[in-house]
Amino acid sequence: MKQRKAFFLACIISLLGISSCDTIDCTLNNTVVMTCNFYQGGKAVQLNDTLTVTAVGVDNPLLNRKRGTSSMALPLSFFNKVDTLLLHVSGEDYAVTDTVWIEKTSYNHFESPDCPVNMFHNITAVKSTHLFIDSISISRPDVDFYEDENLQIHFYPVAD
Amino acid sequence: MLSGVGVGVDVCGLAMKAVGAKFANMEVSGRIGLKEKYFPIFEIGIGECTRYGGETTNVFSTRAPYWRIGMDYNVNKKVNGNRFLVGARYGFTTYNYDFTCPDLTDPVYGTVKPLQLEGLKGNNQWLELCVGFETRLWSIVRLGWNIRYKMPTMQSYSELGTPYYVPGYGRNDDTAFGGTVNLTFDIGKTARKNGQKPLFGNLFGKKKNKEAKETKVKEQTPAPAESTPRAAKRRGQ
Repeated sequence: MKQRKAFFLACIISLLGISSCDTIDCTLNNTVVMTCNFYQGGKAVQLNDTLTVTAVGVDNPLLNRKRGTSSMALPLSFFNKVDTLLLHVSGEDYAVTDTVWIEKTSYNHFESPDCPVNMFHNITAVKSTHLFIDSISISRPDVDFYEDENLQIHFYPVAD
Repeated sequence: MLSGVGVGVDVCGLAMKAVGAKFANMEVSGRIGLKEKYFPIFEIGIGECTRYGGETTNVFSTRAPYWRIGMDYNVNKKVNGNRFLVGARYGFTTYNYDFTCPDLTDPVYGTVKPLQLEGLKGNNQWLELCVGFETRLWSIVRLGWNIRYKMPTMQSYSELGTPYYVPGYGRNDDTAFGGTVNLTFDIGKTARKNGQKPLFGNLFGKKKNKEAKETKVKEQTPAPAESTPRAAKRRGQ
């Protein structure tokens, strides 16, 4: 009799163990943005002028009249192979616009049915006009959940 | 050396399928017994999962076969119908999985496109450490359970996303726990012998047992007429 009770008890315990708890493990930071840092003369620099960034063909700016910033985080398009961005920099008595072309491949990323689907990108090439931008280099091509630096935007050195 | 051959089915997986669980592994197994100690085993099954994301309305689904090979060792030294088994399995599966989700909206241009990922390919291998117990119910029928600790050894899947569930392995985590409740039919030399007293007795031989008990009782009780003091008195007279 004891043997039978022990057997059924063990069965119930094992079944409870099998039907384990379900947890949702979504990434807390689930925004995908391209992080760009500003440099001048090889050193990180803070841009004191006003910066506005818009995508060609879109009225709403991606970054609106930002001042005193040393970096910017921009979303990339999901379905375009090349994103064309207009960087407007304006001071008290001047305003210039440089155009930046970002070539990339985009791919879907999902982790769980409970988490939203995201689009990751891989930057393959970057080029720009050179009114105030000296050069742009790719420091990390993968644009994903990590907010590490993707692009280094180098401005022309200030003339003495 | 060969002590028996057994075929079994995991009733836990069938039950999970019947109650509409999020995922279920339906499997059968075949094994041979060597010296009532070693049990090389082969398991084959179908794992399926359809998982709906609560707030996201995403759907993950897959259905594919899987295989495991391994061996159990019977720790119980007594041959009394009970087996305490420790063992290991090596599992592998190749599968396709689908993922559907709401339309994607471009954060820059606002364009909307549907997203449906179908036929993504995955390939997994894993190791399982098992601890279990089984007993003889009656005749050649045995019931047992085991708990398994699973560790992936090789996994490859689409860059587009990791599968939520791997057939045979379970939820796709770094490690996983699982288990089975096996109904096994054991055929061979020790199938009937090793159960001195089956857990549920001899279900088909109840009447015979009763009759046998009654005849035993009759044999043991002494003849009343001969042993009473009255009979002795009569003999003395």
